[in-house]
Amino acid sequence: MREKSIGYQFERFGLVLVWVAVIAIFALMRPDTFLTWSNFSSIFGSEAVLVIVTLGLIIPLTAGDFDLSIAQTLTFVSMLTAILSARVGLPIEAIVPIALLAGAAIGVVNGSITLFFRVHSLIVTLGVGTFLHGITLWMSDSQTISGVERTLMNWVIIHRMFGIPISFYYAIALALIIWYALAYTTFGQQLLFTGRGREVGRLTGVAVGRVRMTAFIASGVMGAIAGILYTGTTGSANPNSGTSLLLPAFAAAFLGATCIKPGRFNAWGSVVAVYFLVTGINGLSVLGFRTYVHDLFYGGALVLAVMVSQLVSGRKERTL
Amino acid sequence: MKKNIELLGVASLFVLAAVLPSAAQEGLEQARQNIETYSGIPEFTAPGEPFDAKACMAGKKIFTIPASSSIPFVKTISEHKGELAAELGFEHMEWENQGNPTQWIQGIEHATNNGFDLVSLLAGADPRFFEPQVAQAQAAGVKVVTSHLTGLEQEPPAGVDAATAIDYRKAGELMADWTIAQTEGKTNALVLVSNEALSTDSIVSGLTEAFETRCPDCEYEIVNVPITDWATRIQPTVAGALQANADLNYVIPIYDSMSSFVTPAIAIAGRGESVKVATFNGTPFVLDLIRAGDVEMDIGENLDWIAHAMLDAEMRLLCDLEPIRDSKVPLRIFSAANIEEVGNPADAALGYGDAYVEGFRKLWMVSE
Repeated sequence: MREKSIGYQFERFGLVLVWVAVIAIFALMRPDTFLTWSNFSSIFGSEAVLVIVTLGLIIPLTAGDFDLSIAQTLTFVSMLTAILSARVGLPIEAIVPIALLAGAAIGVVNGSITLFFRVHSLIVTLGVGTFLHGITLWMSDSQTISGVERTLMNWVIIHRMFGIPISFYYAIALALIIWYALAYTTFGQQLLFTGRGREVGRLTGVAVGRVRMTAFIASGVMGAIAGILYTGTTGSANPNSGTSLLLPAFAAAFLGATCIKPGRFNAWGSVVAVYFLVTGINGLSVLGFRTYVHDLFYGGALVLAVMVSQLVSGRKERTL
Repeated sequence: MKKNIELLGVASLFVLAAVLPSAAQEGLEQARQNIETYSGIPEFTAPGEPFDAKACMAGKKIFTIPASSSIPFVKTISEHKGELAAELGFEHMEWENQGNPTQWIQGIEHATNNGFDLVSLLAGADPRFFEPQVAQAQAAGVKVVTSHLTGLEQEPPAGVDAATAIDYRKAGELMADWTIAQTEGKTNALVLVSNEALSTDSIVSGLTEAFETRCPDCEYEIVNVPITDWATRIQPTVAGALQANADLNYVIPIYDSMSSFVTPAIAIAGRGESVKVATFNGTPFVLDLIRAGDVEMDIGENLDWIAHAMLDAEMRLLCDLEPIRDSKVPLRIFSAANIEEVGNPADAALGYGDAYVEGFRKLWMVSE
């Protein structure tokens, strides 16, 4: 009954409507430059990495765990990819499986320490992330490594479909997989139970430890995919740059939880949230606003969206 | 009378029409000449008179606080200074740090408490963050200098004893000159800066002056992106500018490490053929990007040359010689035409010749 109510539908698609409104405002102000296919191709193609990091975050978040190491996993794998390609000379086909394995291994480390030593994931992943950053700085000698094989760039930003760089479609394909896994598989349900209450999950027969470990591994692999794409986007690897993606990714994950499936971290909500934020930033740049306005938009949009969402759900609770 | 005024008006128009293109042409020629001058291997220019470095530095101690030991550019200069000090027979210590101002403060206090004669704040350790500690060190008889922090026209910041400067203004001029020469006076550029760095003012003043004097018709927009936001803000800023300005033909990130976030934005917009990148610093990975065709030009400095020049200025101060403001560290323009000279992968010390090695040793009177 509730799912059919207009209020609920409004809540589900509220952010999408705001996104459309933001597009409409920028389109009215700069119809000739903002409302062009090339601009939307740029919006969609430039932030695939952020979408994937956000998607990676929502898996452990659904299970009630934080993965603060995901940005450093990205940076480490990005550097590993660049070094193996530019310095060792391995072909990209050989590097990708190595990089994905490295991401999975980081997930195993995070999961093992969290589960076996019963330490909060926030602390474990913070420590593992900082440790990874140290390794990244050591193996790169704190330098940006360029000279990555051109094939990788071709398969990330140069090849296009409908004018949009192919990395966008990778992000959408991953969102599709995660959406299906969370909504229609036993693992997805177990993940949700684990997140809502570990004891309850355990009593209903869910192997909570195994589920949480799988979530950490999935998050590590997503971080690794983002790392490979990051190197493919910039054609190089910087030992610090991935770090700054962590907060925008968390912002998008929490913003995404206010729409499509309100109250739950969900794949399509995350995608909408990232592109809503990116559209805002792009529009402000096209209008020539200074970069501090970007921060005002980012922070303001997040707080406002969560406030509105709380208001709507709070009102609902009062009417029950 | 009226007829005379009309005639005068027409004559003025003719004169203007004749003068304006020649002024523009003159500016273009000047820009081309500057580019040519700075594209060759630089010559050594002595920053001051010769002095007996070994004799006057005997028993003296220099303490270097680099901006961050994890930045290879700064770390390399600091290490080379240590090697030169060993060659000249006096003590030099580098304060290892990760770029945190509290670590710089610990460093300056360590130097004050351990009998060092001079503290060198190297390439970004900004004394404006710890002015009281600078004053305390000076009160204890320690000389405090900034090295490779300010431009030639900038005064020593925060009351330090001397500031050995780099010609950042010239670097700014050369970036503008390059685009003027390449576009034949039709530059339409996005200039990316980071205002919190002390050198930015100097670079930007050189760049704007070059545009104003040599190419008044050139268009450029300056956008500030704080250093901590490079990874997240540069790409959307460039993407937005490319979208808003169809005539854009240059992006000028004034520090070349910004380039890795500029080039993807240009590639995603599919404007690689029409929008070029001109930048400054000579960081090896950006020199490699010139070889790959993603960056068109980078202005570089030789790190070993900087180490020689900074130590030279610091020794002069301790030997009671005239302080050196202009380090005479030269700049060189790298582009596809001379990129092979820097090695593959690029090496920060290659491509500048070695005239300075002998030059400084003669100045210090240690030459065989």
